[in-house]
Parts: sequence; C-alpha cells; structure tokens
Amino acid sequence: MLLPFFDWMNALPVSQAIGASIWIYPLVQAIHLVFLALFAGGIIIVDLRLLGFGLRSKSVAEVARDARPWMVTGFLGLVATGLPQLMQNASREYYSEFFWYKMYLIAFGLILMVTVRRKMTQGTESTPASKVVGLVSMAIWTGVTINARLIGLFT
Amino acid sequence: MADFMMPLRNVFQWVSEFPTSIAIRESLFFSPYLTVAHVISMCLFAGLIVMMDLRLLGIGNMSTPFSELQKRLFPWQMLGMALSSVTGLTLAYSDPMRFYVNIFFWTKMLVMVLAGINAVAFHFITYNSVMTWDSRATTPFGAKLSGALGMVLWAIVIVSGRLIPYNWFQN
Repeated sequence: MLLPFFDWMNALPVSQAIGASIWIYPLVQAIHLVFLALFAGGIIIVDLRLLGFGLRSKSVAEVARDARPWMVTGFLGLVATGLPQLMQNASREYYSEFFWYKMYLIAFGLILMVTVRRKMTQGTESTPASKVVGLVSMAIWTGVTINARLIGLFT
Repeated sequence: MADFMMPLRNVFQWVSEFPTSIAIRESLFFSPYLTVAHVISMCLFAGLIVMMDLRLLGIGNMSTPFSELQKRLFPWQMLGMALSSVTGLTLAYSDPMRFYVNIFFWTKMLVMVLAGINAVAFHFITYNSVMTWDSRATTPFGAKLSGALGMVLWAIVIVSGRLIPYNWFQN
C-alpha cells in the first residue's frame, strides 16, 4: 500500500543527491548515532529511576522533568538524521522486515511514553507498576536499536 | 605504514591467524550480532556520560547534586563501558587486519584515550572541589571544560566508530 509513497520518496532529487554523494550518507548515519546516545541517556536515566535504580535521592518526577528536554532533542535529531537515510534507500527498505519492526516498536514506544509512562513519571517513588513500565520502556527502545542496526546489516 | 608501526602490525597479523579469530570472521551471524550488542552497550555508556556532561556544563539534570549523579550513575556507566569494551575488542579480535589499515579505527582509539585523560583529569582536579559547587545553579569553569570536552570527544568516538566500514582513505 505504501510502496508508491516509498518509491516517490526514493525518486526525489534530494534523495538521489544523498545517494550520489559518497560522504553525506555515512556522515548522516554517524550523526544519527550521536543523537541516539543523547536520546538513550534521557530514556535510561528515567527508566532506571522508575526501576528503583540511579538517581534515587530525587523524585521520579524531578528526574523525568530534567531529562525530558534532552530526550526530546535526541528524538528530533534522530528523526532529522533518520529521514534522509530512509529517503535515499526507501524502495529497498520497504522490503526490509527490520525496518517495519523498527517502525512498529517506535510507535509502541511513543504511545507508552505519552500514556502510562507519562503517568508514572509524575510520581515520587519507584513502585511495582513503575518498575514494569521502566522495564517495558527499556525493552522497546532496545528492540528499536537492535532492528535499526539490522536494517543496515541485512538490507 | 611507517616503520615504527611494524611491531604492532605483526601483533595484529599474528592475532588474525588465531583459529577463534578466523572462526568469528567467517561466521555469518556472529559479527553482525556483536555490532548490535556494541551499539546497545554504547547507548548505556555514552547516554549516561552525556547526562553527566550536561550536568557539568550546568544545563541539564540540575535538580540533582553533581556528586549524587556521579555516585549513582557510575556503576551503570562502568557496566556500559565493560560491555562495549568486550564487544568492541571481540570485533577487533575477529578481523585485526581490517582495522589495522583503517584511519577511523585509529582515530577512535586515539580520541578514546583523550576522553579517558579528560575524565581522569576532571576527577583529580575539579572534582576535589565538588562540595563548593555540588548543588549550585552554575558550575565552575573546570567542570564546564570537562563537560564540553567529554561531549565533543565521545561524539568523535561515536562518529569515527560508525565510519569504520567506509574506509575512504585506505592506501
């Protein structure tokens, strides 16, 4: 269903230009990883706190509030450096199972983030429920990263 | 390569002929999954290093005193470092000659040493006075310098690591 859209993205002049340059694509991939570190830091510091580890002298809400702008910056950076990678390779990535696993997991991760995890990160203490949410959140974003790496290796 | 590199080259060459090195190199799935594990452990290590560096710069995680951040995140950073070292060393072990001729590999190694020196220097100089700025809204120049250097150096490590497969400058 989405194949025409992916083919259209792939055919855009800007996608072609990225594909034609030997250094733009690798550099974008590399900067994607730098934003990954920022995003992961903002996620892990909060998920560890939800699990009852890390910055335990501060409330869950304080840790989450401090981390949020960096997590958001990291995510926006990941999108900004992820899109060009997809665009120049869209027609092939459409057929990559890992690409779609990654997209589904990102969707799950974001839904969790703005619903249950958001509620948990307004709390003070780590609770059995917050531990589950922290663990699920970490598992989902780890899954995103695993599938992301596999796109590059097996597409 | 320059003559002074020859002993090193011989070591890399020697390791590349180990049966286990050859076995990992020739296995279809071992290396890909090692790189996956390397990226995951990088997230734990670099992610929490960035959180600490933002605190040193005085722009992130400011609700938490620096010493608290240092004490509580350190074990996780060390876990991340241990895992990324094991996976990274195994990758290098599995194909030493590929890395030996790679400019990005050596850039990464050199910059990692610089980042390590930055961390040790911070610990023995600026961290001694931590009690005077632990909970303050601003951090001293030494802390900002270490935070900025840490972020830039680890970013270079990540970028050069990702560029290793491209090796534009070989020969």
